[in-house]
Amino acid sequence: MKHEIREHDGATVVALTGDIDLQNSPEARKVLLSCVEMKRPVLVDLSGVGYIDSSGVASLVESLQMARKSGSKLALVAVSDSARRVLGLARLDKVFTICATVEEGLSKVR
Amino acid sequence: MNKQQSSDGPTDAQPGDVGKGAIYDHLELLAEMGQEFASSLDIQASLKRAIEHITEYVDAEGGALFLLEEDGKILRCHACIGPTEITGLTLKSDRGIVGRCVMSNHGEIVRDAAKDPAFHSQVDATTGFTTRSILCAPMSVKDERIGAIELINKRGGDGLFADADLHLLQAMSASAALAILNARMAEKLVEQERVARELELAAEIQRSLLPKPGDGDFPVAGVNHAARTVSGDFYDFFTLEDGRICFNLGDVSGKGMNAALLMAKTASVFRCLGKTLHQPGKLLSRINAEICETVTRGMFVTMVGGLYDPKTGIVRLANAGHEPPLFHDTAGAFNSLPADAPPIGILPILDDGGDYPEIELTLDGGTLYIFTDGVTEGYLEDGRELEVGGLKKLLRENAGAIPGDRLAAVIARIDRGNTALRDDLTMIAIDDRAAHARRAAGGEAPTPRAAARPADGNDEVLLAVSVPSQPDRLKLIRNAVAETARLCGCSEDVGRDIVIAVDEACQNIIRHAYGGSPDGEISLEIRRRGGELVFLLRDYAKAIDVSAVKPRDLADVRPGGLGTHFIREVMDEVTFLPPPQDGGNLLRLVKRLS
Repeated sequence: MKHEIREHDGATVVALTGDIDLQNSPEARKVLLSCVEMKRPVLVDLSGVGYIDSSGVASLVESLQMARKSGSKLALVAVSDSARRVLGLARLDKVFTICATVEEGLSKVR
Repeated sequence: MNKQQSSDGPTDAQPGDVGKGAIYDHLELLAEMGQEFASSLDIQASLKRAIEHITEYVDAEGGALFLLEEDGKILRCHACIGPTEITGLTLKSDRGIVGRCVMSNHGEIVRDAAKDPAFHSQVDATTGFTTRSILCAPMSVKDERIGAIELINKRGGDGLFADADLHLLQAMSASAALAILNARMAEKLVEQERVARELELAAEIQRSLLPKPGDGDFPVAGVNHAARTVSGDFYDFFTLEDGRICFNLGDVSGKGMNAALLMAKTASVFRCLGKTLHQPGKLLSRINAEICETVTRGMFVTMVGGLYDPKTGIVRLANAGHEPPLFHDTAGAFNSLPADAPPIGILPILDDGGDYPEIELTLDGGTLYIFTDGVTEGYLEDGRELEVGGLKKLLRENAGAIPGDRLAAVIARIDRGNTALRDDLTMIAIDDRAAHARRAAGGEAPTPRAAARPADGNDEVLLAVSVPSQPDRLKLIRNAVAETARLCGCSEDVGRDIVIAVDEACQNIIRHAYGGSPDGEISLEIRRRGGELVFLLRDYAKAIDVSAVKPRDLADVRPGGLGTHFIREVMDEVTFLPPPQDGGNLLRLVKRLS
């Protein structure tokens, strides 16, 4: 798994790529929480995620909970098919704000 | 008075003879009228005959019989004879000579009707008939006013009624009143019997919804005793094609016909959906959605539904707000399995939006009992409630009997046949003893004891790999599984789902069976059997407590629970097989390819 963090129009955009599985979900969790701690809206770009498992989903949920607690927003953008399937299985597709593009995501989190 | 009466009497015969003859005749007439009312179910026709008899007997030109309507405010003519037809005529119960008679409960002779201010002259005016004199007697039984009989114009002589006529009419009115009251009661009884018959028919249909007892050592037995004719409880069990037994037991809030109808609906929906939907949690949530759509406000159903597999002894069940089932293990201990989900019919969507939580347990030769609170709250001979403690005691005392007899022994203590039941009594038992013995003998254990075992004749082994219990090997497994799924013609979506399930199962082995240790070994074998893909996952760790492995509440996102949820969502069958002889755990996942 790789990650890339950039600032875009006042929001933090974090792109995760590759597989988020048992081996690297601790790393994904750390990255996501560090973004949330910046106290700016967070967009998580999942377009490059080939595989995400339950532990990866748990990291996303934890980040969302942290963001809510601190009063900022977190949205998922450009979710890949396989990630979307796992979110659906976990019935979290209605819990997360899911947007097609970073631009759409920006309009939702600001 | 007596003198007057005899001179005005209807005949010129001697007074004594008149009395005797009249009484004799009128007794005969009364007997005939009584007979008429008793033998005919048509009160209306009997009334008509009665007024005919009376009018003829007293020798009047016309007669009418009035009955008070149920509200007591209206008098209606139900039968009449003579030149004027007034059947159906109504008047306020305090109007007219009839009304006065009914209100005062005294008979009277009106010798010149036209001069009586109460006389209702309109009928004469419209018919051209002339009412000269009226004889009227009330009909009542004790204090209950029923109506009155009115006779018009005595035939012959001066056309006036005599006191003797009044006495006679009063006697006949009293008898007619009694006959009418009897006939009304008979009619009510007939109606009650009709309702009772319909209830009995409903009960018969209800009983037909209950499953027939299985033969010999069939592992599931049930019993249902209704407190009233129909029951708000139900149970059912049926064997699926793969040998598993789908069972349920439910209790509809309330008793009586409305509860019985909801019971019939819920039981039918369960039976229908249960044949194709083999995940109890999902099944109950589907039933819940269905019932919520149409349920009457305030009614609900508590229910336990599940599957028992005699090949493994594993029960999976979901509990919608029902009494905790009791598991009696072979060591003699009772374990209670409480529910934390609401009854069916209250919330269309559960709080977490998901399915009812499932519980899995291995019976291992023990018995699972599911029952309604009618059993635990049933009264014993001494007036105390049975309670869960009493139930356990009875089950323990009868543990040696076959399941059906055990249930009968419990029910017999509450339903002693001499007092009305407080509530419906319903119980089922799922007894794993016989199946456990067969499994131990190896006779009917069709499941492989180890992943390494050679394939059955019909199985095609597609893949057999072993990897160390390390997270970085999961990708290897995923790729192998994805390729195998592709090889079998699975769509991209199905392939992706299968990969998720197998990956999560391997994670569980790494995290839970080996406790994160990288030194373990995971074996995966994929077989094709007909239209099914079978995945056997084997580890060599200490045997895990299967009952602790269950999908968690989805609001709780701890990975272990969520992963198990994914596996159950994706796979059609998830079974922990009995631990292999050389230790470890063996999990079988089955995916049916459409």
